[in-house]
This record gives sequence, C-alpha cells and structure tokens, in this order.
Amino acid sequence: MYPPEDGAAPRPARPVAAPAYPADRAFSSPDGMTWVGVSSRFTWHRRVSALLWGLPVALFGGLVVLWVAGGLPALLWVVAVVVACGLGWIVAELAYRSWGYAERSDDLVVSYGVFVKRLVVVPYGRMQYVDVTAGPVEQMLGIATVRLHTAAATTDARIPGLPKGEAAQLRDRLAQRGEERSMGL
Amino acid sequence: MRFSEGTHRLHWATAPLRAAIIMIIYFVLIGFSLLLTQTEDGVVLVLGPAVVARFAIVTIPFAVIAAVAGLWTWLALRFRIEHDDLVVETGLLRRRKRLIPLSRIQAIDVVRPLITRLFGLTEIRVELAGGDRSEIALRYLGRSAGQQLRAELLARAAGLPGHTPEAPERPLWRVPFGTLLGSLLFKLPVLGTIVLFLFLVGFGIARGEAGVLAGAIPALLGLLGAVTAPLIMYGGFTAAASPDGLRLRYGLLETRMQTVPPGRVQAVRIVEPLLWRGPGWARVDVTVAGYTGERQALSSVLLPAAPRQVALALVAQVFPGATVDAVPLLPAARGGRVAAAGTDDVVFVTRRGLLCHRTEVIAHARAQSVRLTANPVQRLLGLGTVHVDAPTGPVEVTAIDRDLGEARAIVEATAERARVARARSGNTARWAR
Repeated sequence: MYPPEDGAAPRPARPVAAPAYPADRAFSSPDGMTWVGVSSRFTWHRRVSALLWGLPVALFGGLVVLWVAGGLPALLWVVAVVVACGLGWIVAELAYRSWGYAERSDDLVVSYGVFVKRLVVVPYGRMQYVDVTAGPVEQMLGIATVRLHTAAATTDARIPGLPKGEAAQLRDRLAQRGEERSMGL
Repeated sequence: MRFSEGTHRLHWATAPLRAAIIMIIYFVLIGFSLLLTQTEDGVVLVLGPAVVARFAIVTIPFAVIAAVAGLWTWLALRFRIEHDDLVVETGLLRRRKRLIPLSRIQAIDVVRPLITRLFGLTEIRVELAGGDRSEIALRYLGRSAGQQLRAELLARAAGLPGHTPEAPERPLWRVPFGTLLGSLLFKLPVLGTIVLFLFLVGFGIARGEAGVLAGAIPALLGLLGAVTAPLIMYGGFTAAASPDGLRLRYGLLETRMQTVPPGRVQAVRIVEPLLWRGPGWARVDVTVAGYTGERQALSSVLLPAAPRQVALALVAQVFPGATVDAVPLLPAARGGRVAAAGTDDVVFVTRRGLLCHRTEVIAHARAQSVRLTANPVQRLLGLGTVHVDAPTGPVEVTAIDRDLGEARAIVEATAERARVARARSGNTARWAR
C-alpha cells in the first residue's frame, strides 16, 4: 500500500518544484527570453486552406443536400459552412499569435494552441532529426514548417509558418546543436 | 562455433522444416480432398489404386516444389559479423544486404516455439530502435548456436571482443505458478466473469434452458483468453541480472528468453489492481524502444506478478539509483487522492487510476521531451497536465491536473534535471566500455 500523503503520518512535504510561476504565466516565454513568433503569412496559409476546404464542401455538399432534401436545407448547409469558414478566419489570427519558440542553450521551447494550449521542451541532444516541409499553399506563400523528431512519437514539436530562409537556418542551427549533444536513445 | 569469423547459415534442419510446413498446408487445402471419392452415399474415404495414383500424381510434384522451396530459403539467407555490424544477406538471384549496427541493438530475444523445441531449434530476434520493420529474425538456429550468437552479439554491442564468454547471471526472482495463476484470477473483471458464468450455467441447469449458452460460451472464451493465454505465455517466469542486461525467461509452450541491455529500458509502469493490493502484488510493464506493434504487446512485461518490494527492486535494477517508494508524491489539485506526481534526481514518478493503481516511472536520463498541456476545461479551473515523453510503448508518464503555475515549474525543473542526468550518464551505446 502507498503511504498516506497527508493526515496520520505526515512526511516533510517537499514540493515537486518550487511554484515559481503564477498561473497566468504558465505558458509565457522562458525567463529572460521572448518568444520568436512566426510569419504573419501563417494566418493566410490557414485562411487559404480553410477556403480551399470550404468551397468544395459548400458547393458539392450543398448540391447533394439540394438533391436529397430540398432548397431550405441546402441554404442552411451553405450558411453553416460559411459560418465555419468565418470562425476559421478568426481562429487563424489567434493561432498565429499563439505560436512562439525560444532557443535556449540546451533545449528548444515551443508554445502554441488556441483551445488546447501546449508548451514543449525538446533537448537538442534528444533530436533524432529535423525536417522542413512545405505544402502547396505554404510554398505559394513562401513559408515552411520545421518539425523536430525525437524517439517519442508524442513529442510533436513543430514550428509552422516560418519564412523559407529562416526555416532553413533554424533547421541548420538545430541540426548542428543536435549533432554536438547527440547521445543516442 | 565462432560467429565473428566467416559467413554462416541457419541450421540445416530449417530446410526440411519449412518443406514440411508447406506440405502440411498443401495436404489440408488440396491433398486431403484428393483422397476423397464422390459416391451415391456421399463423400467417402476409400484408398483404391486409382485414388492413390491420383493423389501421387499431384503430391509428388508438390513435394519436390516444397523441398526446393525449403532448400532455397535455407540457401538464400547468410549472415556474418563484420566489424561493428551484423550483416544479413538474403536472396540468391537478387541479393539484398542489410547492415545492422550492433550499437543500436535494443534487445535480443531467443524464441523457441513448441514445434521447434522438438527439433532443438531456436529463433533469434534482434530488436533495433525505430520503425516497424526494424526487427531482424533469424529462424532457425541450432540451440547452442543460438545462445552463442546471442552472447556474441551482446558482447560486441557492449564493445568487448566477440569471443568473450557469456556473461554470468544472478537470479533475481522466479514467479511461482500459484502466484501467477492467483494473480490472473484475482482481478475484479475475471472474478465478475466467473460469477456470471457460474450463475448462467446454474440457471440453465435449474430451468433446463439452453438459451443461457449464448451468454455462457462467450464468458468462458473470455476467461480462457484472460487467464489461460497469459498463464501459458508467462508460465515459469524468471528474471535474472547479468552485466549484459536483464534476462527474462518465460513460456510454457513457446519459451522466450529476452535480454534487455543496460540503458535500453525507457520507462516502466507498476500496475496494482484493486484486489492485488491485499496480498501486495504488482505487475511491471516496460517500454523498450524497438518493440513496436504486436511485438510491443508480446514483450512489454518485465514481471507478470510479484510482491511489490520485488517489483520495486527490479525497477531499481533497471534505473540504477532509483528508489521509487522514497520519492515523495504530491497529490494533484483535482482527481481525488490517487493522482499524484513526484520526482527526485533520478526518476520522475506519476500515479494514476482509482481502482487499478498505475505508477509510472521514467528516469530523467531517458526522458525525450517534456510537455505541458491545458485543455479548455483545465484552463477554466487553472490546471495543466505535464507529460514526460518516452518512446512509443505501454508507459505514458503524465502528471495530470497540476496547478498551472506548479505545472510550468515542474516542466522547467524536469528539463533541468534531465539535462544534468544526461550529462552524467553519458552515452549508453557501448555499455561495457
């Protein structure tokens, strides 16, 4: 059985870590650093992607609904898709503002997320490889996504919406630091 | 036999064994039906000269094909140890060569399925980090040759000369059959199913109702799957420690000997179902990089059932310097009194599960990354979850529902501890050097 945490036989309560952060600064940048943001073109990437999804869904979906259920449901369908795209339009701006990364001496810190907020700390020595990808829309806008891979699939550290040159430089910097500190698994 | 010199093949008996397997499949699918004759009374088995001739005409070419196929697969696979690599060549006409860097070996399994135990053959599986196809299976080698190859691969992977004699081992624990059977039965779902089964059968006999079979048969099948399968799989479980890693031996029908070299265990989980906490039993699961998919499920148990102290001692063996019980666990802000997390300089420990306690442990030196997440509900309550990431496996180390400020402090402190631990532990690729 586990020893009791409190009550009868209290043990000296050593905190897991000193609560040095107020709750509202839990996702703020590391001490003495500021987040490096992503390009504002990232917003347009999200918006263009939303449109590219929304248009066919509105058109073909609307036609199918028109065929099956009639005029009013079809109109409602189109309105729903338009509203969803409108929300996507606003969320794109929030998502753009949420992304930030900071290169510390031994690890990279990335923070993002509109609804679910996330903060990832990836030590350079744990990186297996870094890659830069750019989808068609990203290529059109001249931006790219840098992705860090560790042995853990759950790490999911990526920085989207970086201008192409900046992405390549970041990748090279990360790869070099990874090489210096690499230690296998 | 020395594997360091020259090129080697599998055991010659592999060829006839493979041919025999092909013939068995042939007989079941085609051969048997050739022996049957259609008459007015239906299908009968009469061995007249015509039937035997018909059978022979089809079977003899098949036997030749099977023999050639068996011989071909035996000839096609060659392996040798070259410098720091295991080189496996396959194919006769189109040759494929695969180089396996020994320093990347995560585990070596010696598997002996029931049928090959009769012939004294073993299968050697070498697990590497990364990918689904990252396993090398040499099936089959002779019994002593298999042991020899295992020892030699491990010695070379450790950075010792290949002719180093097999490392001595120190027995750690043996799971008695009674404990294993008891632990498998002594679980709420299993006991519930047994009660349900007995009730259904009793009801069916009392009322003469056959309809209960619709419930009783699935219940019985479920019991067989939940109790008999693990019993056969983990029967005779022993764990031993040796300089080249943990050695686990288990299996009643198919025996396995698993060797996990030092520093290869990424994370462990101590599982204590509600009813096991009375007798004080625990199971230990591990994440070893390299085992993926089905093999992950087959090879993720470090100890199927043992007293809690033994489980903790084994964890200390895997993560040197770790004293899991001494790590002070602080309860989460919400989630009852079970969810808790704590850390010392060696390990990060989290505990979850109301009925079935799961204590998850990762060494700071093995942590891949640290994450903090907060979903909308958690953000309303001012809570966050800290994940210490390990490679894909059964163990997920997550400290749920911490106060947001504390959560961020845990992230920073854990990242720092991991940095110090990595610097101290150095590279484990060559553990003997």
